[in-house]
Amino acid sequence: MTLHHGVSLEATDRRPTVLLVDDDEVNLLMTAAALRDRGFDITSCTGGEEALTRLASWTPDVVVLDAIMPGLDGFETCVALRNMPGFDNVPVLMLTGLDDEASINRAYQVGATDFFVKATQWSLLAGRLRYLLRASRTRQELERSKAKLARAQDLARMGSFDWWQDDNRSFVNGLELSEEGLRVFGYGPDDRVNLRDMLRMIAPTDREPLVRLARQILYQVSVIATDVPMTLPDGRFRIIHVEAEPEFDEHGHCCAYTGIVQDVTDRRIAEDRIRHLANYDALTNLPNRRQLIWRAERALEFGRRLGHQVALLLIDLDRFKVINDTLGHAAGDELLMEVAFRLRGCVRHCEQLFEGVIETAGSRSHRTLEAVGRLGGDEFVALLPEVADEADAQRVATRILEALREPVVVAGQDCFATASVGIALFPRDGNTVADLLRNSDVAMYAVKSQGRNDALVYTPRLAGRGREKLALESALHKAIERDELVLYYQPKVDVANGKMVGVEALMRWRRGDLLIQPADFIPVAEETGLIVPMSEWALRQAAKQARIWADAFGFADSIAVNMPNRMFERTDLIEQISSAVREEGIPHSMIQLEITETGLMKDLQRVIPSLHRLTEIGVQIAVDDFGTGYSSLAYLTSLPIAEVKIDRSFVRDLGVLPQSLAVVTAIIALAKSLDLKVVAEGVENQRQQDVLYGEGCSLMQGFLFSKPMPPEDVQAWMESVSLPRKVVAAPSAAKVRADAGEVVDVGRRS
Amino acid sequence: MGDLNNPGIDGAARPVLDAASMAELRALDPDGKAQLVKRVLATYQASLAKLVDQLRVARADGAWEQVGRVAHTLKSSSASIGALGLSALCADIERLIRAGDAAGAEPLLEQFHAEVRRVDAAVGQTLQHLEAAAS
Repeated sequence: MTLHHGVSLEATDRRPTVLLVDDDEVNLLMTAAALRDRGFDITSCTGGEEALTRLASWTPDVVVLDAIMPGLDGFETCVALRNMPGFDNVPVLMLTGLDDEASINRAYQVGATDFFVKATQWSLLAGRLRYLLRASRTRQELERSKAKLARAQDLARMGSFDWWQDDNRSFVNGLELSEEGLRVFGYGPDDRVNLRDMLRMIAPTDREPLVRLARQILYQVSVIATDVPMTLPDGRFRIIHVEAEPEFDEHGHCCAYTGIVQDVTDRRIAEDRIRHLANYDALTNLPNRRQLIWRAERALEFGRRLGHQVALLLIDLDRFKVINDTLGHAAGDELLMEVAFRLRGCVRHCEQLFEGVIETAGSRSHRTLEAVGRLGGDEFVALLPEVADEADAQRVATRILEALREPVVVAGQDCFATASVGIALFPRDGNTVADLLRNSDVAMYAVKSQGRNDALVYTPRLAGRGREKLALESALHKAIERDELVLYYQPKVDVANGKMVGVEALMRWRRGDLLIQPADFIPVAEETGLIVPMSEWALRQAAKQARIWADAFGFADSIAVNMPNRMFERTDLIEQISSAVREEGIPHSMIQLEITETGLMKDLQRVIPSLHRLTEIGVQIAVDDFGTGYSSLAYLTSLPIAEVKIDRSFVRDLGVLPQSLAVVTAIIALAKSLDLKVVAEGVENQRQQDVLYGEGCSLMQGFLFSKPMPPEDVQAWMESVSLPRKVVAAPSAAKVRADAGEVVDVGRRS
Repeated sequence: MGDLNNPGIDGAARPVLDAASMAELRALDPDGKAQLVKRVLATYQASLAKLVDQLRVARADGAWEQVGRVAHTLKSSSASIGALGLSALCADIERLIRAGDAAGAEPLLEQFHAEVRRVDAAVGQTLQHLEAAAS
């Protein structure tokens, strides 16, 4: 086909180009004029030689040749033209005389498309030319469409075939493949193949079922649609898709099949890959949640049928969040991969499962379900499809804990990726995968709250703590991973000069649209041990914030972070703080720790060493809620603390309960004598401010100055604030006491 | 150029140039922009002279096939400009020669030359009229 020619014809509004060849100049002139008038673009030649010269560099849409010419006549010109490359399909119209039958016959013999009897009926000539052009265009479109189909089939590695019955009603001999079909099997266009050749490309183990299938299809006269694994003559292994429909003779008997063959190897590989992606975790290549649940469900079916127990082990890494945050996600990923590798070694992990295989592979086939999978984040599951008893499952759990005992080297550092393992058994601890997952979760959290790095089998006693709390615990656990925790900041001000002297960081939990206050989740966090990672997070977050503020507006005060006493018992607290401030490039003194008086007194001996070391490196300690506990004043004098914070309950009751004023006065006096800073918390009104200031306490914190606010608001607050009243001179203590007393009286009267 | 159809142009009863054919020719270039009639007639006159010479030489050489080819060419071009008498003569000559009857063609060739002179004169006159009309 002549593609360039076909393309040139696509512009149908263009005037068709005509090469007009006639030795009779008069006729040439008139014909040209007549055809130009009728919308053709005419190029004239007076002889065959001249015409061929023109055609060497140009292809008109149609050629009109006078048959009888001196020199090369029309016939000879036509033969020569047809032999030129690209001219096999250009329409040629031969002009002959009316009575010249010999010329007409000869015209067809030399390859002319049509003849036209010379006459001055120009409209007829124009009509004939248009007809020729249209036919030529249709033919070209057909050629192109055939070529396109062939190309499409080639691209799709597809071809067609016919398969028919011979006279003996046998399908063995009648097979013919199209050129593209042959190419699918690696054959050339001239190769001939029969059904036997095809069958030889199929492995013997596949051949027999295929022949059986073919017999069945022929018997039922159904549609063929099947994938056939084949080894082609050139040795390539391919999967060939065969699809065909029956054809029927006039008696309604199936006499043939017509269809396509297609090389679907790549598609199958892609499908397998998609299936793998859908069922396996991309990072660790372990079965993912979906695959695990599928396996667990199968395992439960087997357990039910064969009457054995199934164990589900939920494995949660203990300090993954910290590693991820301090060493980065890449290191976290590295750790997960190593953990996955180790966990895999703890069970008889079966890599691939093909659906349907287990059903047929005998009574022990459920063993192939055994696997370790990754549920997401740092949560893994080990599925043991058959265990004799609880101890069986515990042995695997112990193996897992052992496997994780060795440090994992990530980012050039030794990391300890211990895990907490919760175990649930079918049918004892649940009849469904969901129940088992939930109960193993309960057991796992019990491990976490008991200090991590251990395994526990679920017992109903563990679940007795109540669903709601469990849910809260679980959500809180995830809150850390999901970065739902935020720090709000409340300024501490010195009312003597109206300046901010520092801030206290207060944790909030942004759970969906809700902002949950610490009172609603800190107790649970304390109980479950989550308070430790939360506090660690708060430390790093505060350090980051100090850096941000220092850069933004020269913040140089300290951020106070609340620390539970158990944090002070940890030997790595100093290292945590140091790494946090080092990372942000801020001095240690910008981090202050607050410990409650009660917390401090709970296990004073274990806390004291930390306090000393913290003080040495410049981290100040504030005792929070001061006055509520039972401080041993003797100890207080020897403790390395910098600040006491008067509990808000005394401040609130200032001017209401006289005892409050007494306590506040005592605390202030004590602090002064020990050379400690004293800060009043919960200052909400002017009177409280005045009383406190009157007693000699100028550092305050409370709604009167600012509520806790998100970090981005702090700078604006600093710039806009004008403290309620700038105290120029301290009023006399007696005067304030008198005022307070009056208020008390009023309170009593009402 | 209105008098092209005038039958009395050469004093003969039958016009040398057929009026209908001339009208068809004019219709190809209705507003005369391409000066088609003039170009066709000029071309015809030139080729007539050339072809008649070729025919004479061929006839003298006894190259009858060549004579027949000239007659074929003149047959269609003469018909095109309306010289129907000359075209008919050419057709007869061509047919006789193809049939191998050169002797039968001889007398017709005498008529042919007479008709050629009349056609040449008529074409010449028509061209003069066209020139006159244009100036």
